[in-house]
Amino acid sequence: MLDIHSLTKRYGGEAALDGLSLSVAEGAYLSLLGPSGSGKSTLLRLIAGYETPDEGQVTLDGRNLTTVPAHERGIGFVSQGFALFPHLSVFENVAFGLRYHARAPLRDGAEVRRRVMETLEMVGLTDYAQRQIQQLSGGQKQRVALARTLVVRPRLCLLDEPLGALDANLRQRMTLELRRIHAALGITFFHVTGNEMEALAMGDRVVVLDAGRILQADAPDIVYNKPKSIAVARFLNRYNLFSGRTDGRGGIAAAAGLIAGPSTADQRQASDFVDFCIRIDKIRVQTEAEAIGPSQAALPATYITSEFSGAIITHLFRLADDRVAEVEDHLSHRRPAEYAAGQRYRLVWPRDEGLVFPVSAAVVEAAIRRAA
Amino acid sequence: MSTTVQDRAVQTARKAGSPRSLARQQAAGQWMLLAPGVIWMVLCLVLPMLMMIYVSFWTQTTFSINSTLTLDNWVAFFSTPTYLDSLLTTVELWFVTLALIFVIGYPVAVFIGLFVRDKTVQTSLLVLCVVPFWTSFLIRVLAWRPMLGTDGAVNIILLKLGLIRQPIEALLFTQYSVVIGMVQIYVVFMVGPVAFMVSRIDRSLIEAARDLGASTARIFLTIILPLSLPGIVVGSIFVSVMVLGEFATPSALSGDKVNLLGNIIVTQVGSLKWAFASVCGVILTVLMAVTVVALLRIVNLRREI
Repeated sequence: MLDIHSLTKRYGGEAALDGLSLSVAEGAYLSLLGPSGSGKSTLLRLIAGYETPDEGQVTLDGRNLTTVPAHERGIGFVSQGFALFPHLSVFENVAFGLRYHARAPLRDGAEVRRRVMETLEMVGLTDYAQRQIQQLSGGQKQRVALARTLVVRPRLCLLDEPLGALDANLRQRMTLELRRIHAALGITFFHVTGNEMEALAMGDRVVVLDAGRILQADAPDIVYNKPKSIAVARFLNRYNLFSGRTDGRGGIAAAAGLIAGPSTADQRQASDFVDFCIRIDKIRVQTEAEAIGPSQAALPATYITSEFSGAIITHLFRLADDRVAEVEDHLSHRRPAEYAAGQRYRLVWPRDEGLVFPVSAAVVEAAIRRAA
Repeated sequence: MSTTVQDRAVQTARKAGSPRSLARQQAAGQWMLLAPGVIWMVLCLVLPMLMMIYVSFWTQTTFSINSTLTLDNWVAFFSTPTYLDSLLTTVELWFVTLALIFVIGYPVAVFIGLFVRDKTVQTSLLVLCVVPFWTSFLIRVLAWRPMLGTDGAVNIILLKLGLIRQPIEALLFTQYSVVIGMVQIYVVFMVGPVAFMVSRIDRSLIEAARDLGASTARIFLTIILPLSLPGIVVGSIFVSVMVLGEFATPSALSGDKVNLLGNIIVTQVGSLKWAFASVCGVILTVLMAVTVVALLRIVNLRREI
């Protein structure tokens, strides 16, 4: 439905988007994950038509949008600060797009009323129609902004960090709300966020963006379990990252010690630079006395402390190279293990769970140059 | 010995007071902060106003004034065509000036507040609007004479351009020249508050309205105009109060042909007709008060600013 073809946008010579291509299917819920400055807001503003691209084009249902002004694209935009009209009531805010559309205004007052109330009911604000905007909480403002955009039935709804201004509790509830509304309307949603958990929870498809390029675009479970690059793994915040060189016998020599690589990894030559990562909930903690099986990888580590957060406890260990590794323990079925601070343990995981990424020659050279 | 110690303890306790009296003292202290302002306002505003109302009922004879109360002055004002004309002229010129100031000042303010994105440029432009105030009021007014006269700059330019054959004589020493002079002087008092309000409008509101399909005219009518209304009201109050009290501009630019209430007051005071000047003063004050109250009813300034 929406096709983005090698879109490039530069600000003062620096590329905010660098030849980005992406296709979005009808009715999809797409979440776009990236750190601040990755170009995700730029991408949204280009799709919405607030900015014009330097190169490339956006097409909606095959129609090239390059010269189509924002309000004729049939694309709704819910901006980060909600941008509600402060002097109008909730009802008038939502009715704005129906009443005042330049080309197809809805003049029938009863029809406006029906559609506004229908949309307000969908976002659960029926009783708030006559309220002033200042009288609303953050979550309610969010719903009004959503209703105002959805009432005109756009083909595509762009959400710019919609949950960013809400507190954690509310965020959880709005996540469910958004999915419910999406399912009810069948409108394509395009949800931009800097929060990896939100991106995974919301999207049918997660697009990971960095420095104006797409790193990965896959289903959430694939992004989570099989990140395509070390950068994606880093954004997910769920992996311990290492870098080292292959030893030619299936192992990786990292600063923290020799790591047994996955047996499925292709046989590389010795001394290739590689990145390696292991998810924090795949690791088990053993005493030094316990034996390690042939299918397992292990690293020596010293226990530092634990962070308790309800059903999950995160243990922090210091590795041989002084870096900190995280181990996540789910407490739903058993009592938490207790470790002694300063005591040495072994972090053990199945070899095949580790992920190896070859490092390109250019990156290696740059690193060597920096070191020199 | 022990009694003295006890006495002293009691004295100290009295001085410090119980917690309740301490709170009362603090509250009294807070009210004391108001005293200088209240005294100043009572001496310089409330008392003179009461005095003015009182004097307006005094008996005025040709060469003297005495405190016998009478309605004569009020009757005289409302039965003399000259004075009623002057009241009408005042209201008429006030409306025309205010309307012209709005028409000229509002677009400028929207330009400065909305379209100039650079804060430095924005401030510079506002400072430029204030530049005329660097010369004295009287010089600014008198400078219009060589501009508007029959052989003035405006007529010379229009003649040279071939737009007119005869110099326009109506430009100077008429109501027009008074209006031109007042608009030029007071327009900045509209530009400032409106530019301030407009610059506070979040640009994402305009983007959102555009995204929802609204035309530029609709965005102006439904978003920008209502959100700048407090600025318009404040600007109108500034301009109204100043125009209603004017006497220098009309006397300098109309050749004493246009008499506003302010001019009447000046003349009456000059000829020591204090009682009659007071009547004009009271009427002018009531007019201003009604205007300000009416304008403030349009918007809730406390909520907006």
